Amino acid sequence: MRSASTYAASVVSALFASLFLLFLVAPLVGLVGAGGAAGVRQLFSDPELRGAVALTVLTATTATFFAVLGGTPLAYLLARRQFTGRALVAAILDLPLLIPHPVAGIALLLVLGRGSPLGSVLFGAGLRLTGSVFGVVCAMLFVAAPLYVAGARESFARVDRRYEAVARTLGDDAWRAFRRVTLPLSVRGLTASAIVMWARAVSEFGAIVILTYNPKVVSVLSYDRFTTFGLSGALPVAAVLVLLAILPLAALRALRGDDSTA
Amino acid sequence: MIDVNGITVRLGDFTLDDVSFTVPNGAYGVVIGPAGAGKTTLLEAIAGLLPLRAGHVRLRGADVTRLPPERRPVGLVYQHAYLFPHLTVRANVAYGAIDDAAVAESMDRFGLQLIGERDVRSLSGGERQLVALARALARRPEVLLLDEPFAALDPRRRAAVRREVRTMYFDRRCTVLHVTHDFDEAGLVGDVAVLLDKGRLLQAGDPADLFRRPANAYVASFLGAENIYAGTARPIRAASPDWVDAAVGQFAEHPLAFDTGALTLYALGDVVPGKVHAILRAEDVMLSKEAIASSVRNQFRGRVTEIVSAGALSKVTVNASGTPIVAAVTTRAVYELGLEIGREVVASFKAAAVHIC
Repeated sequence: MRSASTYAASVVSALFASLFLLFLVAPLVGLVGAGGAAGVRQLFSDPELRGAVALTVLTATTATFFAVLGGTPLAYLLARRQFTGRALVAAILDLPLLIPHPVAGIALLLVLGRGSPLGSVLFGAGLRLTGSVFGVVCAMLFVAAPLYVAGARESFARVDRRYEAVARTLGDDAWRAFRRVTLPLSVRGLTASAIVMWARAVSEFGAIVILTYNPKVVSVLSYDRFTTFGLSGALPVAAVLVLLAILPLAALRALRGDDSTA
Repeated sequence: MIDVNGITVRLGDFTLDDVSFTVPNGAYGVVIGPAGAGKTTLLEAIAGLLPLRAGHVRLRGADVTRLPPERRPVGLVYQHAYLFPHLTVRANVAYGAIDDAAVAESMDRFGLQLIGERDVRSLSGGERQLVALARALARRPEVLLLDEPFAALDPRRRAAVRREVRTMYFDRRCTVLHVTHDFDEAGLVGDVAVLLDKGRLLQAGDPADLFRRPANAYVASFLGAENIYAGTARPIRAASPDWVDAAVGQFAEHPLAFDTGALTLYALGDVVPGKVHAILRAEDVMLSKEAIASSVRNQFRGRVTEIVSAGALSKVTVNASGTPIVAAVTTRAVYELGLEIGREVVASFKAAAVHIC
């Protein structure tokens, strides 16, 4: 039989957990409730919002593509190989998650801005990284890619290296063993990591607004509408941004649902 | 042939240090050692999955030290099978197979045709091991490395899978190196035994020799010898038919008297000055109610101090003048002799059963 103190502790814990959940959910539910329907209507009537949504999807997808391309081998190396500087590489990968995102934008501006050596070379080659779609992609990649790498690293680490060992003794070279065994066994984790990164990229504001105010992605547009038209003007755009973030969340849940039935 | 010459492998804090042994072509080698001895590390080094810091590996006469795993003629079966969970049973067997005929032959040999389309996650432990063996053999390896393949199985399954492996071995006659921590298993299947502990080779050779004639008391204890006595040995003149038989047989050694505590044991061996050990396996000790008239030189009267039954066999400890002698007898014999704690009995064993090291 449970003692009175245990019962009281359970009640207090449940109360705090409920309050915490409410704190997380209430603003989002309020936002979607207040501006969701208007936002969906505006998608059909507001070309700027429609353009911002399309740009957000395009840039977030492109950033995710590049993160998968470069981050997958890096994640594999970090999960499988012991090498000098491994801890340093892992720490560097965590940095963008720890610094304030406007600071990340300033750092990117320093390296990619037209005044920087790299920026001037790229500008000379006709590639402008600030105030352009490329700038948005760079900002999204910088702040969100570490999430993909961390998730991918976990996914690879969960695949026992002995599967690869067996594949090697069955005639596969390292690349073929990766492609035929490790990749299929970690693909769900990689997909989930890519979805998380995509959602984070969609919701990025701080770094983007430093690098590229125009063309506007949805997060920048919601800020722009807020400063121009106030809360009522920003509400529908903000609600669309939340709905956009819910889509990958639902996809992620579906993936995890598959996992639980496997 | 598996020829391992002075290999050293570093894996984190663990080092497999300067290990050398040879398993002849077509022989069945067994690596015995406790958990953490480096058995799996040794197999993975032979398979090319771990880099060597020193030494060479030769398989079927060719130096493969610098070859990657996929170019070595080895098949590897781990204790937990490591079947690819995203593939069916058939696809697992076919994964590295040299051709379709090899797949069919492997599936037939291990009776897997009926479960060929099954999800490997639904298989029992025994079935998984059979699929792993079939998968390794479908590649037709010249050397098969088995990492505790029976350890995860229940006794009935273990016997069945062991039988399959032996049949496969006799049919194919590929060279096998089988890792186990089970001394009984090692004695059952091996032609060559390699004893590993803490990354070092303790002894290698014929399994019977290893069990009967361990290099030292530590090896004897490691291999489960129940009676290990410290004492001194002195040469004496041969005076027993038991000794004469042994002297012209495989144990061409000298008759010795070995003093330990209040007992003097008669043994065969080389005289070593100073303190030595006498090793006596429990199964070589006979128990009787009275002394028996025979060529058996060692007969000691004592009282039973402990009886430990494990199924059909029991281990009985007899205190002979303060020295414990453990005998392995059938549980039926325990009842027939009326053995019980405090009962007086005679423990007998041949001089040839006592190994001096």
